[in-house]
Amino acid sequence: MKQLLFGFLVVMSSVLGACSSPQQKSASPIRIRWERDPENLDPLILPNENALEAANLLYSSLLFVDPSKQQFTPCLAEALPSVQLKDSLTLLTYRIRREAVWDNGKPVLAQDVAFTLKVMNCPGLPIESNQSQWGFIKDIQLDAQDPRRFTLICAGRSPEYKWSSGDYIILPEYPLDPQGQLRPFSLASLRADTAGDRHTPAIKAFVTRYKQAQLDHHPERLPGCGPYVLEAWEPGRYLTFKRKPTWWADALRSEFLPLQAYPQKLDYQIIPDVATAVLALRRGDIDVYPMMPAREFQHLRQDSTNQPALSFYTADSYKMITACFNTKQAIVRDKLTRQALSLLFDVPALIEATQLGMAYPSAGLISPKLGPLYNDSLPLPAYNPTAATALLRQAGWQRQPSGGWSRRSTDGQVQKLALTLSYRTTDPAFETIALQLRTAGSKLGIPVQPQPLESSVFWDRLRSGTVDMYLFTITGNPFVYNFAPILHTQSIGSGNYTGFGTAASDQLIEAIAAEEQPRRQAQLLRRLQRILHEEKPLTVLFFLRSRLAASSRLTNLQVSGLRPGYSATAIQTKSAPVQ
Amino acid sequence: MRGFLISRLAHALPAAWVILSVIFLLSRGLTNQPTEADGSLAGNLAVHVTTPTQNRLAEYALRKRRGLDLPLFYVSSRATPASGGVAWRWRWNGVHNQYHVWLCGLLRGDLGRSFRDNQPVTTLVSRALTCTLPLTIGAFITIAGAGWGLTLLLAHYRSIRPVVVTALHFLQTLPLFVVALLLLLLLANPDFLDWFPAYGLARPENSTTGLYQLLSSLYHSVLPLFSLVLVSLPSFVVQWHNALQQELKADYILTARAKGVRPSLVIRRHALRNALLPAITYLTDLLPALVAGAVVVELIFALPGMGRLIAESAAARDFPVVLSGVVLIALVRLLAQILADWLYYQADPRIKLEA
Repeated sequence: MKQLLFGFLVVMSSVLGACSSPQQKSASPIRIRWERDPENLDPLILPNENALEAANLLYSSLLFVDPSKQQFTPCLAEALPSVQLKDSLTLLTYRIRREAVWDNGKPVLAQDVAFTLKVMNCPGLPIESNQSQWGFIKDIQLDAQDPRRFTLICAGRSPEYKWSSGDYIILPEYPLDPQGQLRPFSLASLRADTAGDRHTPAIKAFVTRYKQAQLDHHPERLPGCGPYVLEAWEPGRYLTFKRKPTWWADALRSEFLPLQAYPQKLDYQIIPDVATAVLALRRGDIDVYPMMPAREFQHLRQDSTNQPALSFYTADSYKMITACFNTKQAIVRDKLTRQALSLLFDVPALIEATQLGMAYPSAGLISPKLGPLYNDSLPLPAYNPTAATALLRQAGWQRQPSGGWSRRSTDGQVQKLALTLSYRTTDPAFETIALQLRTAGSKLGIPVQPQPLESSVFWDRLRSGTVDMYLFTITGNPFVYNFAPILHTQSIGSGNYTGFGTAASDQLIEAIAAEEQPRRQAQLLRRLQRILHEEKPLTVLFFLRSRLAASSRLTNLQVSGLRPGYSATAIQTKSAPVQ
Repeated sequence: MRGFLISRLAHALPAAWVILSVIFLLSRGLTNQPTEADGSLAGNLAVHVTTPTQNRLAEYALRKRRGLDLPLFYVSSRATPASGGVAWRWRWNGVHNQYHVWLCGLLRGDLGRSFRDNQPVTTLVSRALTCTLPLTIGAFITIAGAGWGLTLLLAHYRSIRPVVVTALHFLQTLPLFVVALLLLLLLANPDFLDWFPAYGLARPENSTTGLYQLLSSLYHSVLPLFSLVLVSLPSFVVQWHNALQQELKADYILTARAKGVRPSLVIRRHALRNALLPAITYLTDLLPALVAGAVVVELIFALPGMGRLIAESAAARDFPVVLSGVVLIALVRLLAQILADWLYYQADPRIKLEA
């Protein structure tokens, strides 16, 4: 009976096994794991990082980040823009490459850039995010002599304009507005008339046409000038992108990664569960598993049976886990208490426990890998309960016979040193950190209550300022050093949840953001790190290393610390180049 | 019968309306923040630095586009400081409120659009149901069929009872995610038995026949289906078996046996029917799960079903989708209760159908 059952199962398995997509392997697409669906591919929305990655396959921007060089490089533009300062304005002049063409062979022109900016400001469309990000572009002037040359007129001055002015998808005018109905409208008029889609027929017609295209789920209806077209999209399951037979950048043979596209097919498979995704990688159902959790990565890497089939990559990222204080709360309002509590984090042990060693400590918000920008004169965070006790005493806290700490505030109220540590439930590392602090706190008589919160509740608590301490992930980048969104007093309640900020720190943050001289900017950055080290509105626990596991048949993944951690278009197979 | 149905529906619909209204008001009352503000991009030190004013304007514009700038309900209250405490000031908002807009849409059959991907909610729900229903209905039929067979088997063969019942009790203790992962690691593992796909559904391919597609779909459904069956079947069989054992001790069974009726006939014709009531309760209780899906199984096997849709929407505060999911589940639950009452009556005519 047993043999019969086993025989039946083997036969059924082989019969059914034959049903499992034999053509997939022969077509040999590069199969990449995504944790979630991109949800919306409307170029005006792009709600998550997967949507951004998908959009970059379909469309092109004037500038694009080259992960191998970790800097912005020209994509549709011939070069980085020339900058001219005029009164309170910044003028940025671009010229589009001669080779850049749309799918119908028509050249990409300055008119398309003007059209894109108008769409990004067109009332009636989902433009909220675009308007806030690129609202500094006040106007565009087209060159009368050269249809590929244009100047962006930007309000104010900022070094980052050089990059951010070219970091958006360029849309083709010919399929969306064949009659040029938006041409008569200036950027300023579109921005000013927020009800223009209701009373101006031309705008209304355009908005209707745009919405009817349903670009959120049918990006194939809008031919972009990126290297791929969307072949299939089953929401929640997979997206398949097919390489265009001819792409305008092929002729360039450029060394820049954004101008290269090797795989004939990219197949993104949505697998939410980590265990299933690891199994899929080991079975060969997927080829690339980016941002793999540390435990699974280490386990796979140490298992010798995986060695021939899989390759493992790590890269220093700009993503850091921080412990932040709500400086508006009475018990952590003074810097000495914050300094003391920061000394209770055992960072090396946490790196080992949560990241299995695949992270590195830092004295501040700047990655130690950024050389002169990093203030190496500051000490790394260290676990030191003795120093913490001394600092607490300096802050006026007194140990009570019951074991706890209390002090009398300026208004005569008795304060007890007990706090909650809030964090999102999404990352198990947060829980480990919270438990470590609770243990370290209890040894000193400081009750620390870990408070795991669902993501939306966590954000609500941050906004309302009802947390004492919280764990937070900050993702930096190597291009722009503007900490205003998280540390400026104007951002308190809308990004600066620490509530920290003084006139001096605001001035320094503004100076760093406006400084164009790298050497001077490095000095200012080092000063900011020192201020943050002393004031301790937050403690950087460690910077993460991005981890990626991939099939050994693949090469040139261009693994980097910038999201998504690899360059899908650069991937090639080892046996023979895919293209 | 018709009177019973009309009367039950007349009672059930207001109950459903109250439940949905409470869920609507609670979910939106807790927070009105747009989902983007909570998204995966939060915490990024972006290249494009926006000012707090720009952020606030963008947030307001987003709320307006989604209708979240309207008052929540017909009346709202605001606490104002007054002598000796706080005074509540009530305000009539008229019909321009979120609840009214939602209710009118619901009555027209318009469930709105998803905040996340801008798709009509009906499209999203029907797409998720096409994934969920074949799986859950398949599991339901398997549970009912296997439960019936296993209960009869246990009644017939006393010798296997201790082993099977112990095994069933053991299975009953296992949570769904453990069962699903165990099946995955046992039967889709290159180190052990690599018999089944680890995740997903069969991909539609133009070059293949309908039969091939069907076989491929069945092949992909084996592990998720068995996960659901293994979790629900044990308690179903245990309950039905216990009820059957009680019936088999009754006097009428003794009479039937004394009259020389074959034991198998005694069980099938007499005892089993009378032991049906707990089985009916159990099976009708499973009906809402047919449309609600199984979020754990859908996550582990990467199936884009109802459970995952509702869970992800709830996490992203995609209210239209969450509420539509709840509407559907609540309606099926109410219908399941009516069906259960009717089946009780069919199984035991001594039970009276009362509205």
